[in-house]
Amino acid sequence: MIELKHVFKRYPLGTEALSDVGFAVAKGEMVFLTGPSGAGKSTVLKLICLLERPTRGQIVVNGHDLGRLAPRRLPFFRREIGVVFQDNRLLNERTVFDNVALPLVVAGVAGDDIRKRVLAALDKVGLRQRERSFPPALSGGEQQRVGIARALVHRPALLIADEPTGNLDAALSDDIIDLFREFNDHGVTVLIATHDLRQIERSRKRVIRLGEGHMVNAP
Amino acid sequence: MKAYLARHLQVFMRTIGDFTRSPAATLLTVVMIGVTMVLPAGLYVGLVNLQRLSLGWQPHGSLSVYLAKGMADTGVVAAIRRIPGVAAVRYISPAQGLREFETASGLGAGAAFGRRNPLPGVAVVTPADSTPGSVARLAGRLKALPGVAHVQSNLVWIERLDAALALGRRMVVILALMLGLALVLIIGNTTRAAVAGRTAEIAVVRLVGGTNAFIRRPFLYAGALTGGLGALCALLLLEVALAALNGPIAALDRAYGARYQLSGLDFDQALGLLGLGALLGWLGARIAIGRALRAGRV
Repeated sequence: MIELKHVFKRYPLGTEALSDVGFAVAKGEMVFLTGPSGAGKSTVLKLICLLERPTRGQIVVNGHDLGRLAPRRLPFFRREIGVVFQDNRLLNERTVFDNVALPLVVAGVAGDDIRKRVLAALDKVGLRQRERSFPPALSGGEQQRVGIARALVHRPALLIADEPTGNLDAALSDDIIDLFREFNDHGVTVLIATHDLRQIERSRKRVIRLGEGHMVNAP
Repeated sequence: MKAYLARHLQVFMRTIGDFTRSPAATLLTVVMIGVTMVLPAGLYVGLVNLQRLSLGWQPHGSLSVYLAKGMADTGVVAAIRRIPGVAAVRYISPAQGLREFETASGLGAGAAFGRRNPLPGVAVVTPADSTPGSVARLAGRLKALPGVAHVQSNLVWIERLDAALALGRRMVVILALMLGLALVLIIGNTTRAAVAGRTAEIAVVRLVGGTNAFIRRPFLYAGALTGGLGALCALLLLEVALAALNGPIAALDRAYGARYQLSGLDFDQALGLLGLGALLGWLGARIAIGRALRAGRV
């Protein structure tokens, strides 16, 4: 599902974020990507979503060689993945329903189908009753669950999460990671970047470790 | 197709929603565009009215043909009628001319010239083609007729008016081009500010697979709608201005015993103005969002 081969990333000001990073994540697998702050976890996720391009190396995601992906195909590639951020990036002036519906609206799904799928996604994250609320009216945990519903509503093959429990207390973090495990049980490939060791130990899933832009453990 | 139209309708309704959320800013932009558009539109309407008024004063640029004394007027008038390019001829006999002169001047019968009538017979000729070139050619042919003493045309006046109207028309075009550019810039700047205020939203849309066309769409609707509403505002301003001018013009009419009413744009022209406003608004928004997307600012 995900394959990185000898990937390097140097930012314009000269910071080398990644140096010869390589690993693979199989279809249907759930993997944690961990390491201290500045290790390059977020950079790896940005490269996988094509928010950044590598300086060198090859990245293949869901059969797409990202180095050869034409710019006009990029939006359609992004519709194959779901992304959850630590700050959830919800649109505060839109309702929970509209936030979750956004990937479906973008993809041109018909109105009736959007309603069914958004309500089903909100049901899964336990927020069906908050569909008309606006994000500022929700707690941090609820906002993160809305972000997860938005990442999953279009049934992506791959779910990527960048520090999804970073702003949450232990109990809420358990709930969020349990949600990811549940989706993984249904066949979704999950890659979570986190430095929450408690969640990593609790989940008993494969771990890829980065340190200062290098691989620390063998993939 | 139904889903495609539904998506467009949804974006359109959201755009209207955005307008109603910031009514003061929207109104300000719309009025600014309205004032910008009313200037060339008003000048155009003014020119059209001036042209109509001048045609009323001098129908078709008539020629006055003074007949030589001692010739049989009926023969000369018949010869005039046979000349190609003559639409109509009205013959004023010396006696009729004298009566008209006495009435117009307010002098009593015989008071002006005594018993003698010095006035010649006059044929007032209406040319079929009132363009200055045609009128000049016709005047030349009339002068060449035997029995014609003098031909007086209002050709110089027609030429001057024609030149003034041509200048006016050119000014309308130049003003329209300049203010059209101003409208594109106004809406482009408004769109640029709107894009800057929605960068976070655009980033999320990109992340969930939004294409450039999807990102552009609400801004294009906003631009076209703003331009269209601006044009509507211009039409209203124009009507108000015409209504305000019609009162004094009616008073002037009464003083001169004439009857004239200013006319505004007709339905097709008004529709054209609305379409032009929407098109220029769309263009301004398209340029602004296109530049932002190309520069990677959003």
